[in-house]
Amino acid sequence: MRTRAEAGRQRWAILGFAVAILVLSFVVLKSAYYQLVLTQVLLWAVLSLAWNLLSGYSGYFSFGHAVFWGLGAYTVALGMLYLDLTPWISVPFAALVGAVAGAIIGYPTFRLRGHYFALAMLAYPLATLYVFQWLGYQELALPMKREAPLLYMQFEDPRAYVVLALGLVVAALLISLKVENSRFGMALLAIKQNEPAAEAAGINTWRWKMLALMLSGAIASIAGGLYGVVLLVITPETVFGMLVSAQALILALFGGVGSLWGPVIGAMLLVPLAEGLNAELGDVLPGIQGVVYGIAIIMIILWAPEGVYWRVLDRFSRRAPAPNTPETAVAGIAVNVAPLPRAPAPLGGSLLVLRDVGISFGGLRALDGIDLAIPEGGLYGIIGPNGAGKTTLFNVINGFLAPDRGAINFSGEPITGLRPSQICRRGVGRTFQVVRAFPRMTVLENVIVGAFVGAPDDATARQMALAALDRVGLSAQSSAVAGGLTTRELRLMELARALVPHPRLMLLDETLAGLAHDDLDGILTVIRQLRADGITVVIIEHTMQAMVKLVDHFTVLDHGRLIASGKPDDVVRDPSVIEAYLGKKWVDRVAVSAK
Amino acid sequence: MNRKLTRRSVTAGLALGALVSPGWGIGLARAQTKTVKIAMIAPLSGPWARQGQLLRMGSDMAVDDINSQGGIKALGGAKIEIIYADAGDSTEKAKNAAQRLLSDHPDLVGGSGAWLSSFTLAVTEVTERAQLPWLTLSYSDAITNRGFKFVFQTSPTADWQAAETLPTAIKLAEAATGKRPKTIGIIQDNTASPVSFGKQLREGGGLDKVGLKPVVDQIFTPPLSDATPLVDKVRSAKPDFLMLLTSAMPDCKLVLEKLDEFKLSKGKVPLVGNGAPFGSPELLKTIGPELLEGLLFSVANWPMKGQEEFIERFKKRTGEPFLTQDGLCGYGDVAILKEALELAGAADKLKVAEAIRTMNLTTGPAAQSFPGPIKFDDKGRRQDVPMIFAQWQKGVPVTVFPTELALAKPFWPSV
Repeated sequence: MRTRAEAGRQRWAILGFAVAILVLSFVVLKSAYYQLVLTQVLLWAVLSLAWNLLSGYSGYFSFGHAVFWGLGAYTVALGMLYLDLTPWISVPFAALVGAVAGAIIGYPTFRLRGHYFALAMLAYPLATLYVFQWLGYQELALPMKREAPLLYMQFEDPRAYVVLALGLVVAALLISLKVENSRFGMALLAIKQNEPAAEAAGINTWRWKMLALMLSGAIASIAGGLYGVVLLVITPETVFGMLVSAQALILALFGGVGSLWGPVIGAMLLVPLAEGLNAELGDVLPGIQGVVYGIAIIMIILWAPEGVYWRVLDRFSRRAPAPNTPETAVAGIAVNVAPLPRAPAPLGGSLLVLRDVGISFGGLRALDGIDLAIPEGGLYGIIGPNGAGKTTLFNVINGFLAPDRGAINFSGEPITGLRPSQICRRGVGRTFQVVRAFPRMTVLENVIVGAFVGAPDDATARQMALAALDRVGLSAQSSAVAGGLTTRELRLMELARALVPHPRLMLLDETLAGLAHDDLDGILTVIRQLRADGITVVIIEHTMQAMVKLVDHFTVLDHGRLIASGKPDDVVRDPSVIEAYLGKKWVDRVAVSAK
Repeated sequence: MNRKLTRRSVTAGLALGALVSPGWGIGLARAQTKTVKIAMIAPLSGPWARQGQLLRMGSDMAVDDINSQGGIKALGGAKIEIIYADAGDSTEKAKNAAQRLLSDHPDLVGGSGAWLSSFTLAVTEVTERAQLPWLTLSYSDAITNRGFKFVFQTSPTADWQAAETLPTAIKLAEAATGKRPKTIGIIQDNTASPVSFGKQLREGGGLDKVGLKPVVDQIFTPPLSDATPLVDKVRSAKPDFLMLLTSAMPDCKLVLEKLDEFKLSKGKVPLVGNGAPFGSPELLKTIGPELLEGLLFSVANWPMKGQEEFIERFKKRTGEPFLTQDGLCGYGDVAILKEALELAGAADKLKVAEAIRTMNLTTGPAAQSFPGPIKFDDKGRRQDVPMIFAQWQKGVPVTVFPTELALAKPFWPSV
């Protein structure tokens, strides 16, 4: 999230951009041709901004934004041909069409993720293309209105279209900026980095994704509508074609995906380049323009894989990570741990109760008849060899997986079958085996994502995030970019993100894995402090060593079953535990040595 | 050279170049003292590049002919200069090309293009506003339905062709076999021109008027993956002839091969198509003369009687196996503009437009390039145009109807 001052600067930049375009259009460019190209640059920029709003921020790549563009264009064309509707009404109406289309498309398609989502999106414009062909709209020409051209958006002066298109770009930029600077944008960024983590941090990912697609569809449709007005001739291939979807994507990727200015930069560079090559080479060496265009894109992507915007930014800004020496940071932890924001709960009484919980994947029983009662206020360890079902157990508790049978109660309330974000809101925090930070965001921003659950407004969220960072001893690094952190700092950051909404139960998934010995002590200090603050901690590990020193109570899982439970010292001597870890041979050997 | 040309500097230069390129109009600095500029927009790249190239071959030849024969006499022997622009593969590119031509060359007096109907629609939106007379071979009715004053369609429109094709085909069948066909099969794709053609047949009363009963009526979405279900229907229904309305060659090939496989080729079911692609050299190359033998197609313009010398010259000049609609129209459009300039007596686009509106040519290169007189009505459509039929005979599509323009006798393929 940007600070208020940064957002203000961006607004000035948008104003400056608008003025520059107006100067370009009214003072510099003289011919109608350049005005037409400029209009197209701006319209493609809007489409790309719309794409970026969904795909750039949330990471849900859409190969099918042509569907919105085309629906917008056809809304305008059909409105004018059959209802004599002026584009002044139908172009804004196209936004509504796009939003509705977004909702209809999003409802089934957001069940998919990653490549599957991208490929499913590809199908929509292609299918719609055939529908419009089947309906007999192969070639629609907007009628020329000689008697009332202005009423039908038919201007003599091509600069009028530049102004209209510029208006759309400015609107799209302001909307993007607003989104970036709100929890909407943070939620999308969190989804992009790690959707399960976002859901576990209390973000209702479904709602934000749908909103993003609807907003994106609305913006793309309105631009498509104006494109129809400018082009005057609409065919399914031109507006629903693969090239339109590709254009949206290429411009944003080229300019800088996930950035406010990336799509605009992409459009300003690539659209004139393509058109210029067409004009220069089209009649001399037909087809060579496509080759040159392709080479230019490949070279720039090699030079700036994340897009021109990020490359230039990295080059000119001094966004080096804040200096952090491990020694001082570790030493600082003990003193930095902040006082608890609320009174510790009394020990005793079960906070989390699992009754006969089971889940299968195909023929594999990943969890089988788990009965578990975790008392409030303790440090509870769950161990087991690889594949024992530890992470599955966490996934069942925090709602990623619904158990096939059994019931889970948290604080006396049933939570079986709730969404992870709902369970998070009830006070269950969690970290993951593999930390997924948002590398381009600062540590503070990373943590703020977790704060939206409990915070009524963005300012409070910021305060809560700062407090959480203080608790884990990462205050000094709060403005460092997460990409530059060490593993230990990343673990602490994730811990802070889970802590920020004041959970009563923390599920830590292999938080100690992959840490050097010195780093381990720092983390252990923080975890102990959590217990001292009254938070119930459940920690998963597959190595016993560190755990024996840390936890009050051990539970051992193997092949989805509880095989032992009790005090750490007792559990490690249990023959069934030794067998699970080391094999039958070792059980015998231990038995012999005990005698 | 010490300076290393790094990848970075090249890409940066490219990107910068795109930004600051000060008007990409550096070509064409060979302005002469006495030239008249005309334009042609055609798809020179992309999926329709071949057709654009054929158009260009024709227009280049016309310009050479005119200039070598003393230019435009009414303008003191001024030479014609033709400026080409690539319509590419989208309406957006076609429209940009038109706008660019007008910006870079405000002294244009006329033009021609852009082959594909939707390109022509977009291009003429620009040329009409600039009051530049524009000729086109595109078929779509929409082109001259918009009340435009500066667009002239040299081809009969799609609706008219749809209305005329069947009666003419029946006439041919009756003349050849003495029997009047009673049933018809239709196989078509759902792209723009087959759809409007089919609509005229079904909803526009095209079938009823000639008393044909459709026993097969199939519409498919290209690309066709397998023609078996379509051709199977033809086999069981056995129509007296089959109307084939495909716009992509691979689909056409699939249907023809399947007909052969089902033993329906070689005239068992006579085939009638519409449009110039049915007579393209590429079709011959991919399908071969045997499967094509006897295939009839209606077309706006095809090499006719009286053009024999011209056809030979074209073949020699270009190396093409035969002349087609595109080359012929490319030549003819330039010839019409030349005649208009002669009639107008001034290199002025408004006067040229007026000359085209009032011309009635029956002789000369322009009139020879098209069937019927060069005479336009208020909408910009040519009047008194006969429907041309060509037929594949021994590997060459030759004009067989109307008789006075035919280069060969038609035969109605029969069992």
